[in-house]
Amino acid sequence: MTNHQSSKTDASEAFVYQIRIKGHLGPWRSDWFEGLTIRLEENGDTLLAGPVDQAALYGFLRKIRDLGMPLLSLERVKSD
Amino acid sequence: MNMPILATKLYIPVPRTKAVIRPRLMDRLNEGLDRKLTLISASAGFGKTTLVSEWVAGCDRPVAWLSLDAGDNDFTRFLTHLVAALQTIAENIGGSVVSALQSPQPQPIDSMLTILLNEISAIPNKFVLVLDDYHVVDAKMIDDALIFFLEHLPPQMHLVIATRENPQLPLGRLRARGHLTELRAADLRFTPGETAAFLNQVMGLSLAVEDIAVLETRTEGWIAGLQLAALSIQGREDIPAFIRAFAGHNRYILDYLVEEVLQRQPDHVRSFLLQTSILDRLHGPLCDAVTGQKEGNARLEALERGNFFLVPLDDRRRWYRYHHLFAEVLSAHLRADQPDQVAALHRRASMWHDQHGSPADAIRHALAAEDFKRAADLVELALPAMQRNRQEASVLGWLKALPDKVVCCRPVLSAGYAWALLSCDKTEAALDRLRDAERWLETTADSRERLEAPSAGMVVVDEAAFHGLPGTIALYRAAHAQALGDIPAAMKYARRVLDLVPEDDHLRRGSATALLGLASWTNGDLESAYRTFADGMANVQAAGGISDVIGGSIALAEISIAQGRLRQAMRDYERGLQLAIEQGDPLLRGTADMYVGMSELCRERDDLHTAAQHLLKSKDQGEQAGFPQNRYRWRVAMARIREAQGDLDGALNLLHEAELLYVSNFFPNVRPIAALKTRVRVAQGRLGEAFGWAREHGLSVRDDLSYLREFEHITLARVLLARYKSDRAHLSVLEVLGLLERLLQAAEEGARTGSAIEILILQALAQQMQGAIPAALVPLERGLTLAEPEGYVRIFADEGQPMEALLKSALKQGIARNYVRRLLAAFSKIEGKTSVNQVLSEPLSERERDVLRLLRSDLSGPDIARELGVSVNTLRTHTKNIYDKLEVNNRRSAVRRAEKLDLL
Repeated sequence: MTNHQSSKTDASEAFVYQIRIKGHLGPWRSDWFEGLTIRLEENGDTLLAGPVDQAALYGFLRKIRDLGMPLLSLERVKSD
Repeated sequence: MNMPILATKLYIPVPRTKAVIRPRLMDRLNEGLDRKLTLISASAGFGKTTLVSEWVAGCDRPVAWLSLDAGDNDFTRFLTHLVAALQTIAENIGGSVVSALQSPQPQPIDSMLTILLNEISAIPNKFVLVLDDYHVVDAKMIDDALIFFLEHLPPQMHLVIATRENPQLPLGRLRARGHLTELRAADLRFTPGETAAFLNQVMGLSLAVEDIAVLETRTEGWIAGLQLAALSIQGREDIPAFIRAFAGHNRYILDYLVEEVLQRQPDHVRSFLLQTSILDRLHGPLCDAVTGQKEGNARLEALERGNFFLVPLDDRRRWYRYHHLFAEVLSAHLRADQPDQVAALHRRASMWHDQHGSPADAIRHALAAEDFKRAADLVELALPAMQRNRQEASVLGWLKALPDKVVCCRPVLSAGYAWALLSCDKTEAALDRLRDAERWLETTADSRERLEAPSAGMVVVDEAAFHGLPGTIALYRAAHAQALGDIPAAMKYARRVLDLVPEDDHLRRGSATALLGLASWTNGDLESAYRTFADGMANVQAAGGISDVIGGSIALAEISIAQGRLRQAMRDYERGLQLAIEQGDPLLRGTADMYVGMSELCRERDDLHTAAQHLLKSKDQGEQAGFPQNRYRWRVAMARIREAQGDLDGALNLLHEAELLYVSNFFPNVRPIAALKTRVRVAQGRLGEAFGWAREHGLSVRDDLSYLREFEHITLARVLLARYKSDRAHLSVLEVLGLLERLLQAAEEGARTGSAIEILILQALAQQMQGAIPAALVPLERGLTLAEPEGYVRIFADEGQPMEALLKSALKQGIARNYVRRLLAAFSKIEGKTSVNQVLSEPLSERERDVLRLLRSDLSGPDIARELGVSVNTLRTHTKNIYDKLEVNNRRSAVRRAEKLDLL
């Protein structure tokens, strides 16, 4: 079986990623997560989303680690 | 000159007088001492550092502490500080590692670590090394170094790593082997009991049980959250209301609470907190410089007393840092509240650090301020010290952060960039930077007559370096050319260095002179090569580059050998060895290489026993005592001993290995391994492969001759002679004789007596094959005359039976009687040898022989380990090596084989 999707995954290409973390971020956090939209969900989660390449993605994950925020989920979503 | 050590990085945080007592964690940490590694891996704010410092305070072993920061991704800086931390336990440790780090030649990491591990294993007592904040490390080199360390960890040492993310270590393997103790978030979070003790006793609140339960639930025992909550509660009127609001809020705890805390501070405190959040390390006067306020010291002390996430970094309360989490939120607030201020704050911090002698911090803040001009000025001025300390990685990091247009108008900085790139083996990129630097020199030279002012657009801060720049550039150019094998260019630039650089600049003059010597060697001009290279080494030695001088004796000895001066070559090696001993460091780089060289000379004198002993000694020194080339040189030397013993297959195998391990250096490759292999094949009668080699290397009897290819051409003559021996075609022997005549003439012109002796021997053998014994004795006699004073034996003996017959004829003629008798004795010795295969492909070391003797006894593994005073693991390594070398897989067959080989 071939996997057509994975052949397109290139580290330099940007995809839309959604990062879900626990707790609402303060609005002044936005410049830490430049390029991502920050949505505060009613259940208390924060959803960060936007087109990022792999390098930027790891940068954001490291930032989340350094804030000590519990990471709930990370997924790649269709860009359209 | 040593790299500056930041003492604050080695400071063991002192636990607070009031702290939550956590016996369950203390017990686990104490139990972990018997294993290799304790890993404390949890997100920020779980009290990792506090826990370890409390445990350390009550630990009965001495503790070395290293707090890592992003700068430690520079391996030199990391290892320097690691050694400094270990020196707090054992003062004399790591001296040779630090000097190796500063040597102009990059040293293999494993070697340095092995030296360090050996020194650790000599520490009489057990101790603990703590690496705090390991998550800042993302250099694979450092992970690898740690893996190596853990694999060979002496039993004295226990390692503790505190980190926010799992380190890139083989944790699964460590866990499975019982080497690992882990404390993770689930272990670290406060239990309800600890939460109560923390809030009411440590933070001095008197909260009701139900309020504590709410806070505990909301923070999930996250310690930083609880501390912030306590700070927000202190002095509040309506505590239950605050707790209800906090519990009911969805906001991320840290954001919510820091805002609460900040809002409750007076303006000047709030502004102090925000503005100083740009600093990695806080110091009263530095804070004053940045904030424009006064009494920074008092402010810091007050914050510490108030539990404001301030961590003291020394006993005298001079330096502090904010807890990372707190700093993170403060700096986010600063960026949101006062975005225009940030650059100015960094610039002030940069200025303060510059005035107070910490250029690295000054540069970091200038870069953060995006004040690139200032950063470039600072880097340019920091270059000489960075070069002395070989911190090319840091320099490269700074320069990469600068916009190109800022760098390329600065000739001194561009040359510094080239240095950093050359040091990191980025030869191509270095050339561009050298061209940038040169462009400005050309411009200044042209315009000197027209106007005195520097050319427009050029920026120079370090005037002295600018005046020396032509010499600097020439030296980098020479090194660049040498790296690419462009000898004429290397010579041209090296000569230019000598014209440009002052007499007392020993290192630059020495390096350039040595490069010239190597170039002469490559051209076959041996007399001048020896003199020039020795002269260069004398200068390098005056500049303190001992290890390079020891390595240089290999070049000198090899030149002597080509000149047929075996005794001088032995003196060259002995002198190198002597230098190492004088340094009081028997493991100094290059000692292992000296033994290999001496072994080859002993072999030539037919003292095969001593030759093998020297190789064993070289091996016992360990790989760290050798240059990268030693691994292949050792195998070549061993192959030739095998050859002398008649074990041609064994010799060929070793040469195959040597070929795989071959590493070039600046020395010319005058004895290629492929040619050595061909000689063995000729001896085996595998002429097809031998001709294949000649074709592949494009060799023919009509080639122009050069010293670089001399060994190959002599080998070709051997191949052709072997063919003549089988086909007896008259034409082919004429061809060989013609080639040999030309080779002899070239060798004599170049005063290469060593080569001449071999060529004369081949001429004699060629005549002998044609049945012309009197004609054969003429070149033989010349060869004997040249060889006798230097004690050559194998060069004749390796030719076997035909040479034996020829020497007997010479003896009858009364030619060099005593010498020829001595030579003939060497032939009979070979025939007397029964089993050449009795020698192992890799000899056992002294230690392995000790182990082997005990393996023959009835002692159990642990008993043997005790007997030898090593750990069971070390014993296991020894046994495994013994099995490998003996090609067996259990104790009984190892003993049986060893007995058969008479190794015991």
